[in-house]
Amino acid sequence: MRISTVYLFVIAVVFLSCKAEPEPLQYGQDACRACKMTLMDRKFGAELVTKKGKIYKFDDVNCMLNFYHSNEVAQSDIAHKLVVDFSQPAKLIPAADAFYLKSDAIKSPMASQIAAFEKKDTLDTMKKELKGVYMVWGELVTQFK
Amino acid sequence: MMKYLFLCVCLWPWLLAAKTIVVGSSGDYPTLTAALDAAVDYDTIVVHSGTYREGNIPITKAVTILGVGYPVFDGEKSHEIFTITANHVVVAGLWFKNTGTASMVDIAAVKVIDAKNVTVTGNRFTDTFFGMHFSNSSEATITDNDLHASATGEHEIGNGIHLWKCHNITITGNEIRGHRDGIYFEFVTESLIARNISENNIRYGLHFMFSHNDEYRENAFIGNGAGVAVMYTKHVKMYGNLFKKNWGGASYGLLLKDIQDSEVIGNHFIENTIAIHMEGVSRTRFEANDYLRNGYAVRLQASCDDNDFTRNNFSENAFDFATNGTMVLNTIDGNYWDRYQGYDLDRDGIGDVPYRPANLYSMIVERIPSAVLVWRSFLVLLMDRAEKIIPVVTPENLKDNTPSMKAYDRT
Repeated sequence: MRISTVYLFVIAVVFLSCKAEPEPLQYGQDACRACKMTLMDRKFGAELVTKKGKIYKFDDVNCMLNFYHSNEVAQSDIAHKLVVDFSQPAKLIPAADAFYLKSDAIKSPMASQIAAFEKKDTLDTMKKELKGVYMVWGELVTQFK
Repeated sequence: MMKYLFLCVCLWPWLLAAKTIVVGSSGDYPTLTAALDAAVDYDTIVVHSGTYREGNIPITKAVTILGVGYPVFDGEKSHEIFTITANHVVVAGLWFKNTGTASMVDIAAVKVIDAKNVTVTGNRFTDTFFGMHFSNSSEATITDNDLHASATGEHEIGNGIHLWKCHNITITGNEIRGHRDGIYFEFVTESLIARNISENNIRYGLHFMFSHNDEYRENAFIGNGAGVAVMYTKHVKMYGNLFKKNWGGASYGLLLKDIQDSEVIGNHFIENTIAIHMEGVSRTRFEANDYLRNGYAVRLQASCDDNDFTRNNFSENAFDFATNGTMVLNTIDGNYWDRYQGYDLDRDGIGDVPYRPANLYSMIVERIPSAVLVWRSFLVLLMDRAEKIIPVVTPENLKDNTPSMKAYDRT
């Protein structure tokens, strides 16, 4: 009985350590996987986490999409796709549910001109100032192919 | 009618003559803002020494602003100092201090928007968020300025000289320390960067993106967080620059990514983690460069083709060449390698057997970075020797067929 509890515990620990969890972007230290630039601008950034827990970091959403389309990692193996909220420095949010604004006024590190937002309201407020077009994830994926 | 015309002709020189306005406690006006209100195009404003706290100063006329004894313009950590939107503005001999900082907007000591022929020369910048920030501008001259920032976090500081969508810009003789990127180019064409010193900046000494037909020569890039990055650019000329002491895991003397038809000639790469890292580089000449005491001299990714390395000196590098591919479509003939152990029986100065600069171990480290732990062990030495005799892992055609027996003399 006791041994099986120990086994259960060990198995649990092993499985926990394999969990594919995102980690925060270390600005000033992490380099973008695609363009090799050191991450600097906390308004931008993106991260992919594979099912095995391998993490790829990017400085701009177009860098993430270049990598995503390159099939270096099969798209089916990706557990998390995350982007940074433009209005909340360094905060990662799920990419597929985010709201995107594309505008010439948005000067992102790799010139994608894309800002991501967790909430539609924030996008609407920013859109009044920055102009541009509202986009969703699906459109972005096809645009940066 | 004739009388008026005569009057006009007589008064012409007075109508044209620009006047000089003096700013200072004993001058015509106590503040630059007041002097600018009174000025017309092509006036000269002389600012005497003192500290001026005038918040943001918009410059909308073609004036020349000259400082005497470095008058201080203090942004009190909350303002952008000069915002220039007129052509033919000259700013010289001023001292800019303490601009505001922001994460959403680029606050600068001198911001230039949609202007031509602006000159910024001989100024000092201390703890400014962005030093100079030019957008949509052309024919600007930025010379002999001294920029120094002391921020520690990368988000507390902007770039020293930041250019976005500009063309025909001349940047010479500036010194930039402690900024995010020393000099930043995005969509800047037909420009020259010469004899600048960019040192100890948090990220790149020079950062170059989508900027075609530019030339940078005789600059020094020393001890920057990640070295120098030149990306997504065609026809860039890099002559006689110094890349020194750019150390760190993701640090490069020169990072080249997606570059075509460019020239890297007569540069010195000293004590960098990776002197040159190349990805997606095509039709580029690397000639007469010196690589001394670097971790890697050249790290060539398989995506590079049609590049030519010749008359370079490779000395005391841990690895001369590393590549992650098996096919190499570049030529590397006629270089000097201090590791070359061949002979020259006909005494023509050219080694009689080819030199293979990529050793087995550098290929292994490329795949398993942590393998560097056993570097210089006896086993690794044996493996390298065996590989030299019968190449299995290293690309067959990655070799210098005409290695020079002596280092090239650059004098």
